Amino acid sequence: MTALPSFAADIAALLAERGAGIADVPILQPANPFLDMAGEDLRRRIFLTESETGETLCLRPEFTIPVCRDHIASQAGTPRRYGYIGEVFRQRRDGPSEFFQAGIEDLGERDTPVADARSVADAHALLARVLPGVPLAVTLGDQTLFEAVLAALGLPRGWRMRLARAFGSKPLLEAALADLADPPRNGALPAPVALLALDGDTEALAAHVAEGMEQAGLPATAGRTPADIARRLIEKAQLRSIRLSGEAFAALKGFLAIEAPLADAATALETFAADAGLLLGPALETFSRRAEALAGHGLPVETIRYDAAFGRPLDYYTGLVFEIGVAGAERPLVGGGRYDRLLTLLGARTSIPGVGFSVWLDRIAAVREGAR
Amino acid sequence: MTVTLALPSKGRLKEQALEALAKAGLSVGLPQDERKYHARIETCPGVEVVFLSASEIAGEIGAGAVDLGVTGEDLVRETLAEWEARAEIAARLGFGHADVVVAVPEIWLDVDTMADLDDVAADFRQRHGRRLRIATKYRRLTQQFFTAKHGIQVYRIVESLGATEGAPAAGSADIVVDITSSGSTLRANHLKVLSDGVILRSQACLVTSRRTRAPADEALIAEIADKVAKAVG
Repeated sequence: MTALPSFAADIAALLAERGAGIADVPILQPANPFLDMAGEDLRRRIFLTESETGETLCLRPEFTIPVCRDHIASQAGTPRRYGYIGEVFRQRRDGPSEFFQAGIEDLGERDTPVADARSVADAHALLARVLPGVPLAVTLGDQTLFEAVLAALGLPRGWRMRLARAFGSKPLLEAALADLADPPRNGALPAPVALLALDGDTEALAAHVAEGMEQAGLPATAGRTPADIARRLIEKAQLRSIRLSGEAFAALKGFLAIEAPLADAATALETFAADAGLLLGPALETFSRRAEALAGHGLPVETIRYDAAFGRPLDYYTGLVFEIGVAGAERPLVGGGRYDRLLTLLGARTSIPGVGFSVWLDRIAAVREGAR
Repeated sequence: MTVTLALPSKGRLKEQALEALAKAGLSVGLPQDERKYHARIETCPGVEVVFLSASEIAGEIGAGAVDLGVTGEDLVRETLAEWEARAEIAARLGFGHADVVVAVPEIWLDVDTMADLDDVAADFRQRHGRRLRIATKYRRLTQQFFTAKHGIQVYRIVESLGATEGAPAAGSADIVVDITSSGSTLRANHLKVLSDGVILRSQACLVTSRRTRAPADEALIAEIADKVAKAVG
């Protein structure tokens, strides 16, 4: 499939109506930003090549990262919305390796709930335009709420991070929870180190580690520093003495089980928080304001569900995550979410919040075929 | 009706492969000229023996260019995408033992398990401005172990074709995924294996290529595999 499908013109028109000017994204991209952001596993799913000078290049596997990089390079003002429609290239077991995606990246809007709701509304409008009469279902998740629950439970930083990373992946989350209930034992530490760690003596520990690094000929500046290792040793020593209480464990499980139509979701969360005696503060407020903003866009809210355990398995999502598909179908037509750290990771000097979505045109085409 | 059997072309692995075959009653008549890379098995005239490097053997098995081969399980799993669809391990031969392991600097006193490494990798970029780097020649095995098994996504692989253990001290990587038999090279380089960091316990194997062939060839391959399996079992 190398020609745009017939309905692409409708999508382009919608992008223009929604104030998202088309971004000009080259097909050939430096591979490093993708591998850095999405992880090494992406390597086997993209098409890599090399320039004469040895730079690793790839065929554009998606648009979000190049759009953000171009935005940073051009030092464009914010807020700004970018639209795109074009081919992406991935090695897939099923389906062709060239296919079309379209979407909008919304950069720099400081009002999170407003920008979130608009992104979902844009994606929904896009699908409604090219799939008229097809019943759609929206699934919402919220990484920030999950992190707020972890913080409210008073979990130590190391555990919060581990659980937050596992969010959205059932097996990983279950493994992390199992470890929390029964923390694995560390190997025995040499006696002086064990004592220093228990005492929380960062300086003495760091000095000990620095000596060891020098003996091993490890460059002290190239990677982990003695202070990093000392800090984590102390953190681990503290964690070992903590068990997650049965109550906290139950609360965590109770939270992850919440699944409700959007109209009832805020109430369900408030009830949960009150029952568990937790304060979810700004995260819950953002959630409620987003829900209101979504209703304000005239979306059929009864088709929107909030699933507390729903996340998307990409390291860079920070808040809202969502998918939209044909009601009852397995594969989503749209995936999107908020990525407030991404632009900083890509080199932006100031923090630029972002939220966006991508639609799979080949999946839309399949639905249109089926509907005919 | 001929089938091709590929054997390692040099070193201990070659000697041990020949011994294993001899034990199975399949003595290879070596050519007079050491530089020749073809041979026959007297008792089994339908077999053509070729000598290749161990990593080439894995590739040729995957491509279906040779029918049987003696090579390391690590190379089969590393060289071939979805190896089980293309190759089958007919017998583990009891030599060429080596473990593919995740090893970190000994002085990383806080890192003992893959879960620790997950922690360290997760905020590596924030702390050091780049991802955790892993030196290895086992790109595929590393990805499967880190990503599929342990859900660790954020790291970068630095391809290393030799002296991998030296990479951390040289500053070209933070940790390594490498092969070890006794662990002494790792220790000499001040590296330790994580307690759950054994990716694969590998040894030399008789491997057959999965492809359709004449029934007579198929029978011959099964016969050879059976003899070798019985001899080493």
